[in-house]
Parts: sequence; structure tokens; C-alpha cells
Amino acid sequence: MEGFLSLILEPINEVYLKFKGFFPNILAMLTIIIIGICVAWLVKTVFLKVFKAIKFDNWCDRMGITALMRKGDIWAKPAEVVVKVIFWLFVIVSIMVGFSALNHQAINSLVNQFFLYLPNAFSAVLILFIGYMVAGFLSRAALIAAVNGGLSYAKLIANAVRLMLAVLFFAMALEQLNVAPKIVVSAFTIIFGGIVMAIAISFGIAGIETAKRIIEGEKTKLENDKKGDVEHI
Amino acid sequence: MVGIPSYNNAKTIGHVVRAVDAGLAKYFPDKKAIIVNSDGGSKDGTSEVIKNTTIDHNALLIQHPLSMSHRITTPYHGIPGKGSAIRTVFQMAVDMGASVCAIVDSDLRSITPEWIELLLTPVLKEGKDFVAPLYSRHKFDGTITNSIVYPVTRAFYGKRIRQPIGGEFGFSGNMAEFYLKQDVWGTDVARFGIDIWMTTEAVANDFRVCQAFLGAKIHDAKDPGSDLSEMLVQVVSSLFDLTEKHSDKWKVVKGSIDVPTFGFRYHVGLEHVMVNVGRMLGIFRDGLDNLDKIWLEVIGSGDFGEVQTLGAVSDEKFRFPLKLWATIIYDYAIAYHKKKLPPQHLIKSLIPLYLAKTASFVMEVADMDQYGAEAEIEKLCLDIFSPECGTSHSFFFILEV
Repeated sequence: MEGFLSLILEPINEVYLKFKGFFPNILAMLTIIIIGICVAWLVKTVFLKVFKAIKFDNWCDRMGITALMRKGDIWAKPAEVVVKVIFWLFVIVSIMVGFSALNHQAINSLVNQFFLYLPNAFSAVLILFIGYMVAGFLSRAALIAAVNGGLSYAKLIANAVRLMLAVLFFAMALEQLNVAPKIVVSAFTIIFGGIVMAIAISFGIAGIETAKRIIEGEKTKLENDKKGDVEHI
Repeated sequence: MVGIPSYNNAKTIGHVVRAVDAGLAKYFPDKKAIIVNSDGGSKDGTSEVIKNTTIDHNALLIQHPLSMSHRITTPYHGIPGKGSAIRTVFQMAVDMGASVCAIVDSDLRSITPEWIELLLTPVLKEGKDFVAPLYSRHKFDGTITNSIVYPVTRAFYGKRIRQPIGGEFGFSGNMAEFYLKQDVWGTDVARFGIDIWMTTEAVANDFRVCQAFLGAKIHDAKDPGSDLSEMLVQVVSSLFDLTEKHSDKWKVVKGSIDVPTFGFRYHVGLEHVMVNVGRMLGIFRDGLDNLDKIWLEVIGSGDFGEVQTLGAVSDEKFRFPLKLWATIIYDYAIAYHKKKLPPQHLIKSLIPLYLAKTASFVMEVADMDQYGAEAEIEKLCLDIFSPECGTSHSFFFILEV
């Protein structure tokens, strides 16, 4: 009977001992996460007040950041967006630090990988953000220049500029994230090469006469337009 | 002192130097005079032309002056541009203690010795500080001046200077010293916008200003690189920047007054100017199709609705309401101030609207003489002042500055 009891109790005891040894780690993890969330909330509140005091939203309006956010379909106030980002950054970091308190080899390696991957993720986000701004700026510049130049396909040119830059920056971001870098580079080369080839074929072979007519038409139009220019200054 | 800024103007600068030299000899024979050429590194022999240009005083029935005018050619330093060239002239005027100065463009074909008299005498004999030019121009010419620069300068600073960006100016030694002291020579003023800057600083700082009628202005064929978008960006951005700088000055301005005008006014036969109205309206309609989001953001839904209505009107019946144009200018000034878009994009997006306004003006004044066309410009100036447009917008702008 004793043998039977020991057969039942031994595993329970073992689990209990393991849990007893592991419990402080769980407690430490929960404590770190809770403290991290509290700190994140505190930092969020402080930043919100500081931003309000220095009129951060007004500054963003003046610098065109609000307009940029609206263009990206973000309708919250800039200060709210920044403090939300800061809050979640603190929460994610505290969760990761909390996990490392479990002192488990697999989890530790996962946490290490996460922190090692952070610079890449940050770079990718930065590339996408810069790409978004550059693509918006250049496509708008192309649109305005095409309209003022009297080109009737202005929107098409602007959209083409935006698309090309979006593809370029997206490929750069994926490469930064190490997501199948060889495939990304190949795909990018194929897409860009394809576009250039399509233009070359359409203008060079298939549409040689049309291209000639367009170019001659534009040339004549420009010459006629020049004849009719008043002195603006 | 007479300053001539130049850059590769060998073809025309000889005539300008002769006219300046003759003007100094004929009208100021008892004064010590100097001609300063501030050059941007010309490679076409501009400096040699200046040195070698001679003038036969006897042929021009001019008595030999007591003191011959000296000529100095000097390269200017700093940011490349007309502003830096003119700064060098200011510096030399101050260093030499010049009591009166003038600046004339080096590409002028219609300059005569009388221009020098007209630019310098108001300073010497009437005690003026700044002399702006007044030209006889074709009714279709100078459209940026007529539809933007003149009405806005007049509305904001209360002085009716008809050609604020003329290119030729006369000024006192004190004025040159004042200009030189301003901390703008590392900014865009050094590159471009010097003309509107000089005029605005003179009127905004209560210097004694006047204008002199010089006759027709004909200059060398314009630089193909200086296209409309760049010109508009340069002029309008300078105008708006100065409006922000002098907000405390124009807040108190109510109405406008004439400035003293010197010179004998006469009508000049001017070459016909061709205008492609169809192309201008085509660009406006393209703008309506493609720049709708930008316009809606800048001028608001009310004015944009009016612009949309205009888009549907046929070319023959197309007329751009003056009040709408005045409101649009104020809206763009506010958008510039609030940095709603990068300055280049913002001002370039104004071009289709400006062309529509210009096309409308051309059609309206097609059968009018010069005086009729001038009356139309006067109407626009009065509309910019009107309470339902100018005042309300100015007030809003003041609140935001």
C-alpha cells in the first residue's frame, strides 16, 4: 500500500518541488510586467502633460506632421499617437524582461532573439516611414509639375512615381527584416526590370509611331505655347 | 554711385554702361561718380566690355564733366544670386560714403541717360530715400506684379508703389547702410527676392519713398531656364515671408496712399504680346481635375466650390471673380504661414489658378486701352481691401501670427 501511495505522491511532490523552485520566477515575471505597465502608464501621463505644456500638437500642425498623419489615415492627435507608441514600447519591453526572469533556456533564447531583432525592426519601420514621406513628396511634386506643364496624364505620372518608390522602399524594408532577402532582391529586380522592359518594348517596338507622334506633338505644343507667353514679372 | 549686377551679360552691358556714363556726365557733371559692376563670375567677357566701353560726349552734346566717372568691376562673394551682387554695391556705397546710389539691370535694352537722372534726382534734390521705377508696359505684361505683388504690397503697407519688383532702384546712402545692416544675406534674399525685399523694407520702415517714370522697359530675351513656376515661387515666397516679418507694421495700416511720382509721363507704343488663353485655361482645368485635394485644403470648401463652377464655364464666357482671386491670395498666405504644404509645392499649386486669373484678365481687357486695363487692376486692389475679403482674412491672419 505504501509503495502504491509513494507512486502517487512522488510525482506530485516532484511537481510541487519544481513549482516551488519556479514560483519565485513567475512571481518575478508578473512583478516586472506589472511594474513595467505602471511605469509605462506613468511615463505616458508625464509625456502627455509635457506635450500639452509645450503645445506639441500646434508644433506638429505647423511642421506639417499632422497633415502627414491625416494622409496616412491616422486621425488621432499627434501627442496621443506619440504617447501611445511610448506606452506600448515600455509594455513590450517589460513583458520581454519579465519573460527573461523565468530563466528558462528556450524563453531566454527567444527573448535574446527578440532584442537582437529589434534594431532590424526599428530600421525597417524607419525605412517605411521615410519612404512614405519621400514617395508622398515626390509624387506630389510630379503631379504639380505635370499639371503646370500642361500634361493631361498628370495623375498617372504621380501614381507611377508613388508606386515605384513604394516598391523600392518596401523591398528595402523587407531586406532589412531579413525576410527571404534573396527572393526580395530577385523579385524587386524582376519587377523593376519588367517595368523598364515594358516601357522599352512599347515605345521602342510596338508603339514607335505613337511614341513619335506623342513626342512631336509635345514638341509642337511647347513651341506654340512659348510663342504665346506673356512676361509674368 | 550706380551699381550694375551682372552675370554673362556681355551682349547688353555695353549699352547699359554707355547710358549710365552719359547720364552721370549730362545730369551730374559736378559730382564725383562711380560705376560699380558686381559680377557673378561671367565667362563671356562681361568685365572686358565694361572696361572697353567708351562714350563720345561731344556726339551726345554733353559738356565734358568736371570729374570723369570711374568704373570698378568686382566679383561678389557669398551665395550666388542677384541679392549678393547688390549687397556688394551696398557695401561699396557705405565704404565710399556715397550720398546717392542707383541700381540698374545689365540686360536692359531701353535704358537711356534720363533713367539715371530720374533715379538719382529725387534722392539728391527731394530728400527721398528710395525711388522705385514706374514703367510703361503692355497691358498683358507684368501679370504677377499686377495680380499679386502690387495689390498685396499696397494692401499690407498702404503705399501705392506700382512696380515693387521692377529691377531698377534709386536710394540714399542711409538706405544702403540700413539694407547692409539687415541680417538676411545668408537667406533666400541673397539668391532671389531682392527686389521685393528692398521695396518692402523701405515702405515698412517708413523711409521716404517715391517712384520715377522711366518709360518702356525692354530687356534681353528672358532666360529660358527661368520658367513661370520658379519665378512665382521666388516672388510669392519672398512676399509672404516679408508679410510674416512685418505683421506688426501692417496690422495698423488702413487704406493706401499715392507716393510722389517724378518724371514726365507719356504713352509709349508697345509691341503686341501674344497670349495663349486656351492653354492657360487648359492648365486650370487640369489643375481642377488633379490638384483638387490641395486646393480644397488650402482655400476651403466654399471657395473651392466657386472654382469648380468656373471649371465648367466655356472659354469665351470665362471670367475669374476679383473677390475670389483676392480671397485665394489670402488663403495661400495663411496656408504658407501655417506650413500646410512645403513652400515650393504650395506656391506651384497656385499656378493653374493664377493662369486662370490671367486668362480672364486678358479677355476682359482685350478691347480696352492701357487706362482701361489699369482701372481693372485698381478694382482688384479695392477688392483686396474690402471688408468681406481683405479685412476678415487679414484679421484672421493677425490672430494666427
